[in-house]
Amino acid sequence: MRIEALTAGEPVQYTGQLLIMRDAAQKRLIQETHISGNPPIELEGRIIFYAGPAKAPEGYPFGAVGPTTSSRMDKMLEYLFQRGVIATIGKGKRTPLAVELCRRYHRVYFVTPSGAAAALMAKIVKASCLAYPELGTEAVYSVEAVDFPLITAIDVNGVDIFSRS
Amino acid sequence: MCQDTGLVECFCRLGHRVVLEEPLQQTLETAVGQTYRAYPFRDSTVDEPLFRRTPLKDNVPPMVHLFQTEGNVLEIRFLIKGGGSENLSRYFALEPSAGVDEVENKVIELVKEKGAMSCPPLHIGIGIGGSAEKSFVNAKYALTDRLEARNPHPDYAQLEERLFRKLNDLSIGFQGLGIGPTVLSVHTVYEPTHIATLPLAIAVDCYLNRKGAVRYED
Repeated sequence: MRIEALTAGEPVQYTGQLLIMRDAAQKRLIQETHISGNPPIELEGRIIFYAGPAKAPEGYPFGAVGPTTSSRMDKMLEYLFQRGVIATIGKGKRTPLAVELCRRYHRVYFVTPSGAAAALMAKIVKASCLAYPELGTEAVYSVEAVDFPLITAIDVNGVDIFSRS
Repeated sequence: MCQDTGLVECFCRLGHRVVLEEPLQQTLETAVGQTYRAYPFRDSTVDEPLFRRTPLKDNVPPMVHLFQTEGNVLEIRFLIKGGGSENLSRYFALEPSAGVDEVENKVIELVKEKGAMSCPPLHIGIGIGGSAEKSFVNAKYALTDRLEARNPHPDYAQLEERLFRKLNDLSIGFQGLGIGPTVLSVHTVYEPTHIATLPLAIAVDCYLNRKGAVRYED
């Protein structure tokens, strides 16, 4: 995905890999990086989806999944960008810190519909647990998405759709 | 459908003539455990909030509030409460001289600043008066009201309607994108309070407002 070309407000249908990771896994990842010096998960070029899936219904590769509140994880965003994450996906307005980090690192933030987890589940064709299975829904999952609906909420120039009057 | 299948909150009005075979907490915990095991919902609870936060299976325990009433009826209202909206919960120990304007401003400020984070259009429950914890239980209970229900006290009914208008004037809209309504309902519950206090509790629910009620007659 060419993220530099996206402007705030622009809808995108994304097909490709997503790394699902939220509060607990990010916190642990940062702690482990501090201890060992190396992140236990490769983040270069990744898109992080802030989410925790429901259990997978029988016959489906993955459970119902939708965005969680992104701003809760703003204080961990610079860590992700420093390790090569190119975009994050979640819901809601973020803090000025996150907007500034998107501008400084030339990264984007997408929102995706909340409360529509069964519909988003249908966009995921393959999934595997990458790390921390003991965290249950907060484990790290790598998934393959097809036509995943996104709206560019903060672009690489730091234009934020939630701060527009 | 949201993947956050909540903490289950139960508000139980237990008639004094109803005889139970086991504590209500235990019955509800069994019900939640069985339901979350049987269906592919999300187990969203951890055993302890601060140090290890180890995930629990079956999404137990439910948060149970018990009120004793007169009669032979047990009514349980429940709310499937997601974490995103729960994080908007606020309590204000206002001064007793604070007026309606200050109460309105607290609610409006909260929704304006944080509303976009928790899946608007929102439902707003407001507990006014009582003690700190009583006002909060009332604010939560208000979220279980029927959408169109109004407080029977005309002043509080007007406050609900006024807040409904003013909050929608914020134009936060669906997901904070500026399209559609900002709130779908505003409900208040008031209680007598101490001369030195004016407790104000604000509880927020997302647009799905997943709730229900069960009624048993003994």
